[in-house]
Amino acid sequence: MKYAYFPGCALHSSAKEYEMSCKAVNTILGVELIEIPNWNCCGSIDAVYAYNPLLSIALSTRNLSLAETMKMDIVTLCSACYFTLSRANKILREDAGLKGKIDRVINDAELKYAGEVKVRHYLDVLANDVGFDRIAGHVKVPLKGLKVAPYYGCLLVRPPKISNFDDPEHPTSMDRLITALQAQSVNYPDKTSCCGASLAITDESVMLEMTRHLLLNAKEAEADCIVTPCPMCHFNLDAKQKDIESHFDIKIDLPILYITQLIGLAFGIDTKELGLHRNVVSPNKVLEKLKKASQAAIKT
Amino acid sequence: MKKEIVHEHITPKATDPSFVEEVKKIRGGENVLDCIQCGVCAGSCHARFAMDHSPMQIIKMTQLGMKRPVLESSTIWLCASCYSCATRCPRGIDIPALMSGLKNMAMANNVPCAIETKPKFHKAFVEILRKYGRMHEPQLQVKLINKTNPKELFHNASLGLRLWKKGKVKLQPSKLENSAPIAAIFENALKEEEHK
Repeated sequence: MKYAYFPGCALHSSAKEYEMSCKAVNTILGVELIEIPNWNCCGSIDAVYAYNPLLSIALSTRNLSLAETMKMDIVTLCSACYFTLSRANKILREDAGLKGKIDRVINDAELKYAGEVKVRHYLDVLANDVGFDRIAGHVKVPLKGLKVAPYYGCLLVRPPKISNFDDPEHPTSMDRLITALQAQSVNYPDKTSCCGASLAITDESVMLEMTRHLLLNAKEAEADCIVTPCPMCHFNLDAKQKDIESHFDIKIDLPILYITQLIGLAFGIDTKELGLHRNVVSPNKVLEKLKKASQAAIKT
Repeated sequence: MKKEIVHEHITPKATDPSFVEEVKKIRGGENVLDCIQCGVCAGSCHARFAMDHSPMQIIKMTQLGMKRPVLESSTIWLCASCYSCATRCPRGIDIPALMSGLKNMAMANNVPCAIETKPKFHKAFVEILRKYGRMHEPQLQVKLINKTNPKELFHNASLGLRLWKKGKVKLQPSKLENSAPIAAIFENALKEEEHK
């Protein structure tokens, strides 16, 4: 299974541990992600798009056409990049007039996009190309007793005109993944709520309020951790958790893991290799619970 | 913060019938007249609590030609593009795209923005991409920080330190091996205006 890998800006900076853990898991699953050489920013959901939509679509198109020369479909780990690249793909297919303009804009970059590339999120690849049965077959350390809140967020599963590998209102792919790792997926009605990532820099108090609900409701569901497949969501839930605690004067202390970190733990991959030391909220509570469970299993 | 739509706004002098024609030209605005005011967008919106008008109200105001109140609203800037509304809209209106288009219109017309940092954010984001082709978040933060507000400076320094300890701050921006294609795209895109 080979794909053209589009990292996006976060995966090479704040979300490096997502890429690290993904690589470790891919080695076991036989998934090959080949980084698109000289890729650029996806074009952004709104930051560039609201400023100049043509520029945003052109930036997306350059990445699409680079993947086309590799003759592979794009896989990205970021829900925002997934949406942005897919949106451009859809607009180019539906709007011949705009496609002509975009061709002119990226012409100097010596590229021309025929429109053959599919854009996919890594979770889609896990669910539909690898399959959860195969993932279950690689489990060495069953995550028995671990309660996990699956946080899908917004752009991974919607809008359905752009993302169609899961249900936009009641997605289940991540729940099924959690079950395959023998952990328990908790009842989490906030699974598709929005964390407010695109407001984080300019309207922090709004974002803090939006993310606070996600964290407190996961606590109420007695989750040991939240898992997410998006570096933007992870940043808000994990790196900003301390800001939420001090802003609302509450204690949360809830570990936030990337899906690939959770899979890696179940595959028995070393925590360093999974980059768990880079998570801002310490994942030690999760690791201790797993250790106790495995010791108990050995005794019985 | 919340403003109610008062009747006095909706007078012939306060409305501009050409506004809806303008909006119909932007992506997401094509079918703005199809809205039946069912309210599913307002009910689905995760950021509604912070907005002055609900998305449904913004659409009605657009239909009525209330150009200034729409472009001056905080709503268009507080849409987080989460697509809850558009996923459920029975009339198939791409509301987040419409909000982006309204932001674009507000910036192009230099409308005083309900949230001051917003236009600066978009401008700074684009400037950084033009330079490197990829985002460099530390520079974005530095460009937008209010350097005269000690509380804000402290708050940002504390987040910065937290990220630094975890190796999440990359001082050197990630760059493309060859930046010429990006420069060309910026130049060409800024020349061509997107009008469908």
